[in-house]
Amino acid sequence: MAALMGLRSCLSSALQLSTSWLLVHKSYRLCAVPLAQRGFAAEAKKVFVRDKPHVNIGTIGHVDHGKTTLTAAITKVLADAGGTRYKKYEDIDNAPEEKARGITINASHVEYVTPNRHYSHTDCPGHADYVKNMITGTAQLDGCILVVAATDGQMPQTREHLLLARQIGVEHVVVFINKADAVEDPEMLDLVEMEIRELLTEFGYDGENTPVVTGSALCALENRNPEMGAKAVLKLLEVVDNYVPLPKRELDKPFLMPIETVHSIPGRGTVVTGTLERGVIKKGDECEFVGHSRSFKSVVTGIEMFHQSLERAEAGDNMGALVRGLKRDDVRRGMVMSKPGSIKPHQKVKAQVYVLSKEEGGRHKPFMTNFMPVMFSLTWDMACRIILPGDKEMIMPGEDASLILTLRQPMVLEKGQRFTLRDGNRTIGTGLVTEILPITEEDQVNWG
Amino acid sequence: MALLYSVLRCVRSHITQVHLRSVHTTSPHHLAAEKSLLLQLRKSTGYTFANCKKALEKFDNDVKQAESWLHEQAQKEGWSKAVRLEGRRTKEGLIGHLIEDRAAVMVEVNCETDFVARNEKFHSLVRDVAFATMAHHRSRTGSRSTYIKSLLSTDDLSKLTVPGGASLADRLALAVGRLGENIALRRAVVLGVPAEWNIGSYVHGALPGQTDVAMGRYGALVVFQSVRGEAETLGRKLGQHIVGEAPLSLGNMDDLSCGDTETRLLPQSFLADPSKTVAQYLSEQGARVLDFVRFQRGEGGHDTEE
Repeated sequence: MAALMGLRSCLSSALQLSTSWLLVHKSYRLCAVPLAQRGFAAEAKKVFVRDKPHVNIGTIGHVDHGKTTLTAAITKVLADAGGTRYKKYEDIDNAPEEKARGITINASHVEYVTPNRHYSHTDCPGHADYVKNMITGTAQLDGCILVVAATDGQMPQTREHLLLARQIGVEHVVVFINKADAVEDPEMLDLVEMEIRELLTEFGYDGENTPVVTGSALCALENRNPEMGAKAVLKLLEVVDNYVPLPKRELDKPFLMPIETVHSIPGRGTVVTGTLERGVIKKGDECEFVGHSRSFKSVVTGIEMFHQSLERAEAGDNMGALVRGLKRDDVRRGMVMSKPGSIKPHQKVKAQVYVLSKEEGGRHKPFMTNFMPVMFSLTWDMACRIILPGDKEMIMPGEDASLILTLRQPMVLEKGQRFTLRDGNRTIGTGLVTEILPITEEDQVNWG
Repeated sequence: MALLYSVLRCVRSHITQVHLRSVHTTSPHHLAAEKSLLLQLRKSTGYTFANCKKALEKFDNDVKQAESWLHEQAQKEGWSKAVRLEGRRTKEGLIGHLIEDRAAVMVEVNCETDFVARNEKFHSLVRDVAFATMAHHRSRTGSRSTYIKSLLSTDDLSKLTVPGGASLADRLALAVGRLGENIALRRAVVLGVPAEWNIGSYVHGALPGQTDVAMGRYGALVVFQSVRGEAETLGRKLGQHIVGEAPLSLGNMDDLSCGDTETRLLPQSFLADPSKTVAQYLSEQGARVLDFVRFQRGEGGHDTEE
């Protein structure tokens, strides 16, 4: 992954060296990077081929019900079919620490390829880790495999597992009843299945139609009893392929470009630059500028990247857009250029926020209601006030919580948008907008 | 013991197999009735299907007898599971508070994952530990009214009994059997104060719906004297400060603060009103802090394998 990133920045900065009325200032920043990272290109690494849609999937279940064994079995069975690397049980570290946005998360990631899809498989040891995972967006789970051992059936804490799945917005759960080889009476398996369906329904999932696959990950690993082993694992993968829908690709969403800089080009007009966050933008498209209490429409008359004009730009492209009739003072950094009507500024939101612990560089003190950090999102930043939910009086570092944030001025915000909170010169938290709230009169008073 | 038990289990499962076969051959109707009983038993007791089935077969579908046998069995299985899981790392869990008249108990119970810490079975174990510790305190001190502060270790706690009979060690084994995770009674502290003193308490991240025993990730108990009323609010504010600022010692009323790194309680700036130090706030309120205890879930402890 790091190698890929390195390669990417090598390429893009090489292109930028021969640049451009747009991005000259940027090439200085980037051209120092490739020297240090050139080593990556020389390494004989496998090249990732993007020929299949990518899906993130996770496992949840009791610690002893065989989540890791199942993960190992999946890679083994798929490795036999080709395209996936077998990861032994011992090679799957159960809870390695990773850093995402400065936050320490315990999560193991394994990748595998089915005939239809490429999967990234995440497993976290605890509730808190899954929540951090959701907030930072390291691997937003598109679906989940609930692992239940046939020997025990569901555990009391399976309820908490499903509550979590609900909380982090997993809509598609598939059940794998593991250790079926250790149960003598097949009727027992039916009972376990019946019970888990009931529980799924209780938690608002479609318990009746949720796919349930019965098998034994251990059999698959040990190459015995193929009916319970390899075949069951393949069946599970097929079910996951069919039941968990593909996430909506960024390209299919309405376009959004947070504005980084504004240039006026003599004789041509005003150009706004930034990275296209999502969607596809074409020459002649209508666009809308929103943010900093302004909003107006216009038309994109030209798109350029690396000093070359192009017909369309896609999500991820670092681009500049020439806009009809735009004056330099009409727009500024922090506003966005978007498909008209697709996004609006808001002033008050509810968000799931993780507050960094002292070890992660956050504050060492808790904060109470009315705390005022600065919120950073897209290319804007704005002072905001935090209101704690009714049942909480303070938030300690290292905790996650659902908070209400009121911005001093409305800014472009939507459900699902990520942001960071800073206080002075330190990042104190990161969050995910879960709900847009209407602004009331009392929110306006007293910004000091 | 464990060996004997596993031998017994072998024998038993052999017997059930034989028994089962005869059921299969003789009456399929009989089996259907058993299935609904089985579901009912599993639902009401929460024990595994395998055990519920065994119990029903053993007592010829007599649910009452089966249930009592299951409870007995659960205790034994809990013990063997507890032995098997012993040593696995426990760093999650809860702090529980029980405040009664002039006495307060704060306990810490650990488990492996925060999923289990959110489960009500685990909560009821924490409650048992808190009540057992309180009962122990009452029985030991009687009506004496001096200041008492005693710390209980894992071993001390295992020896206590829940009001009603069972020992905490038994309760723990039962919970381990049910939840399938290693669980540890980490520590407890008991405070008893004379009549004119107060105990303030604050539990951070308190779970909703826990009325008698408050539970959360952090807890603080603070012993203080207050001449004016509102002792409860003051105690809560002080507890909150102690949880938030994590002081290590009390300090003196006239100590000077050494800024953000201050670890003495009294010179720290007060969390609820940062313009004052704790000492200044207390003298305004006409109050005096005498002692405090702070628990943070998973801190220190006896995790030797780490």
